[in-house]
Amino acid sequence: MVRIELSEDLKEEMKKLREELAKLKDQLRDVTEREHERRHGIYIDVGNRIRDHVEDVMESVTEGIQGELEKSIFIGPGGVRITRRRETPEEDEAKLNFPKAAEVMSALGQEHRLKVLKELIGGGKYINELQEKLSEITTSTLSSHLKVLEEAGLVVQEKMRGRYLITIPGRTAYKMATRITRFLERGNQE
Amino acid sequence: MIWQNYQLGNAISKTTESITLWRTEKGTVEIGKNALAIPIKLDDQQKGYVFHGRGKLLLDTIVETQEGAVGRPVENELNGLFLMLGDTEEMQRHLDSAVKEDLAKMGYNTEQGFIDKAEDLFDNFFGKKGIHGHQCCGNNHGVIFAFPNETGKLDKLIAKGSKLVYKATNQTFVSNDDKVVLKTPSEVIVSGGNRKSLVIKKRMFHRNH
Repeated sequence: MVRIELSEDLKEEMKKLREELAKLKDQLRDVTEREHERRHGIYIDVGNRIRDHVEDVMESVTEGIQGELEKSIFIGPGGVRITRRRETPEEDEAKLNFPKAAEVMSALGQEHRLKVLKELIGGGKYINELQEKLSEITTSTLSSHLKVLEEAGLVVQEKMRGRYLITIPGRTAYKMATRITRFLERGNQE
Repeated sequence: MIWQNYQLGNAISKTTESITLWRTEKGTVEIGKNALAIPIKLDDQQKGYVFHGRGKLLLDTIVETQEGAVGRPVENELNGLFLMLGDTEEMQRHLDSAVKEDLAKMGYNTEQGFIDKAEDLFDNFFGKKGIHGHQCCGNNHGVIFAFPNETGKLDKLIAKGSKLVYKATNQTFVSNDDKVVLKTPSEVIVSGGNRKSLVIKKRMFHRNH
């Protein structure tokens, strides 16, 4: 077991997030509240039932956050501490999902796909924006690369706006590729 | 205030063309041509419909954080009954009376067959004892959808302007402009906008600045 002591500002941040969540809850409650001052149209209000739905949802989210915090954080007189069990390298290896790991490595194993990830680290992009940056490949090739990255869980596409976003695993995978490459390049120089 | 019960009407219609029931930059709900529709009424006013037909639900339940995006979009093909409450005025122009053949296409031998199924969904949403509601005037275009899922429960989508709540079996998504809370079986993400976020995973606590 390792214990990592966190700074006071985390407590403050958590407090702010709780307050923000409470505000959000209040604002969402507005969805079900009457607005007498409005003049036209038809307002749908099914009374307490929908208010209950919104309350249920917010309760569920709040409980989820609190539950996870309680599981992972010990709050004592000395402040906030993360309690987290660190797995041994043997346990890590035993748990490795080899097919999934191979899929991720395969998705990374192409120069243009790595370039796509690099571009997305700066923020979500539409395919035409990516095409401008990767003008050496055709749009259909770029689409195929994006599909591979998406299937591997490294990229996600918004269905409404169509932008491509890099996921947390995508960013981690890109960092990993960068570090391994630098490490190997340094080794060759030595 | 006069309190009355919501009730299911008995006139069955069909959609004459595809209709977009709700659309924002976060998602859309569409129903295809020849879908069956039965009105939900409060007094004599139309307050919504129970539909049965092909359609789709798209919802970008994705949160952008500084460490990367979390969540996957919801992309559900609708092919059964679902309920909608909201402004139906515009929709009525795209409906026509359903005939026996229209019911048969959806697998119903009689009108009562469809009404019974619609009542089941109606009861599931409103409760067997009936729900009381009230009406008032306003240009407030809130919309509520209830989609039965494979567990027999209802996935619910409540939206008004930029505010949105989506509660399904495996996730809860709440957003208000750029403020988002996403809860999945493995993590909870609270995002306050500008990609500032708190990601809480099982046995892990992660904070982005």
